[in-house]
Amino acid sequence: MQDRECEALIVGAGYAGLSAARELVRAGIDVLVAEARDRVGGRVWTTTSPTGAVIDHGGQWIGPGQDLLQKLADECGAETFPTFTTGEGVEWRDENRTTYAGLIPTSDPAAAADGIEAIFELDLASTEIPLDAPWDAPDARARDEQTLGSWLAATVSSPGARAIITAAVKSIFGTEPGELSLLFTLFYLRSGGGLMNLARTTNGAQERRFAGGAQQPALYLADELADRVLLSSPVTAITYGADTVTAIVTPPESGGDPVRIRARRCIVAMPPALSVRLDWSPPLPGRRDQLSMRAPMGSVTKIHAVYDRPFWRDEGLNGQVVSDEGAIRVSFDDSPPDAAHGILLGFIAGDECRALDAATPAQRAQAALADFVRYFGPRAASPLEVLERHWPAEPYTRGGPVAVFSPGLLTGFGPALRDPVGPVHWAGTETATEWCGYIDGALSSGLRAAAEVIAALAR
Amino acid sequence: MADRDEIAEAYADWRIRCNENDRLRRMLRGWDRVVHLVATDTGDRFTVEVRDQMLAELAGGTDAVADLVVTATSEDFADLFWGDLNPSEKYMSGEITLAGAQEDVMRLDAMSMVAFLDR
Repeated sequence: MQDRECEALIVGAGYAGLSAARELVRAGIDVLVAEARDRVGGRVWTTTSPTGAVIDHGGQWIGPGQDLLQKLADECGAETFPTFTTGEGVEWRDENRTTYAGLIPTSDPAAAADGIEAIFELDLASTEIPLDAPWDAPDARARDEQTLGSWLAATVSSPGARAIITAAVKSIFGTEPGELSLLFTLFYLRSGGGLMNLARTTNGAQERRFAGGAQQPALYLADELADRVLLSSPVTAITYGADTVTAIVTPPESGGDPVRIRARRCIVAMPPALSVRLDWSPPLPGRRDQLSMRAPMGSVTKIHAVYDRPFWRDEGLNGQVVSDEGAIRVSFDDSPPDAAHGILLGFIAGDECRALDAATPAQRAQAALADFVRYFGPRAASPLEVLERHWPAEPYTRGGPVAVFSPGLLTGFGPALRDPVGPVHWAGTETATEWCGYIDGALSSGLRAAAEVIAALAR
Repeated sequence: MADRDEIAEAYADWRIRCNENDRLRRMLRGWDRVVHLVATDTGDRFTVEVRDQMLAELAGGTDAVADLVVTATSEDFADLFWGDLNPSEKYMSGEITLAGAQEDVMRLDAMSMVAFLDR
């Protein structure tokens, strides 16, 4: 076994871990970052497809108010461009296809107005949630005992309005509304500026994309950190005392020697559900461990169908879909800025993702193309290629796009999200107060955890 | 291009419909605000006040400090108030802009969409 030492060890080289590492290095602290995968970026992952298309398999957008990500993008010269929104969206409801302009499907104006009022009520209620302590919100207990699903059932009488909100919520969280604590939902909405903001392209969370992919700024940070980042180095066990941490890196089967890393402090920059898969000694305090049991990852598959050109634009369509049927119920035009390819991005989320979990990639692609044909016509049946990422099967992610907090988590265990355990600190977008669940939240969580470590090491 | 009178006439019509709409009244609760409208092509300015869940009459651009500033072409303002223009579509294309605190933008955004749908 190889032995290494550092002052601060970071577990996970997603945006949270990389952001923490950079901050610590700037403070003159000796850092190592252990990353299980053979790449950095975590839930953000860009590849180039066989036909030369830049594909973001995970997080991909940047919007107004995501200032940390924008600053980083500016610094590393990562260009952004607007998500394509010109034209109309396709609404599929009750086996009927219509098109609509703007954000919300309008085939049934009364249902759309009910939907907007319901979104408005959620967004208004969210403004009451203190971001640093949602468990102190008004009616926190009652709200944490409800789910978004039960709130919708009790508050929104129009099935059409519920369908619109459900489609949005499924692709934002990767879950059904009935799995989300209402208190957590309100916290999450406030954290990202409201459901309307999270659902929007222009003036919202899906406003712009990265021309070179959203992983580009992560690669830039990794370059800067150089050999401090250890790839293909899964930490499998952590032993901690009052002022020391020892982590065991067990290399994957492809080889390499186990490594023992000793550090004075450790930042675990991964979702709660993954953090408890490590072998902790002594066991984590009950409250932290049980919090992690109540924060499962969402269920999402991203499918990209690549065509020779964005043919739907010829018919005045913007590639966006809101549907109540099929595997893909929300989609976007994900073509490159020069439209050298036409790319449709579809989300398979929540129950549909679970139903297709045992399917092969080819079967999921087939289901997706059948949906695209329903929405965009027969030309959608013949893509140049289909690329998919089924996140529940990713060994070091196990779902996405984000951890979802079950009823009772925030009021019963909330402070354990960020409270350090001895020399162990917690980062990751799930611990963020602003833009929780987004890349920007991951960056801020890293800065917050780094500040804790800097203060602790100065004592 | 729409002149001041046309915009005022369209607004008067829109105002009556909004103030008679129970859903909109609910959505305006606890929200007294001053909204400036700026027509990008003519430079005309107007002020709308929201008070006690009601829209006031359109005023010429006043010196009152605005909570929100809306910009659009004069034609789009007129069409919006006549109910011929989907504000969500113009906001999505960037042809209408809203500037203000996030919660105020959210309110105006939602209420203008509802005003369009319930027309």
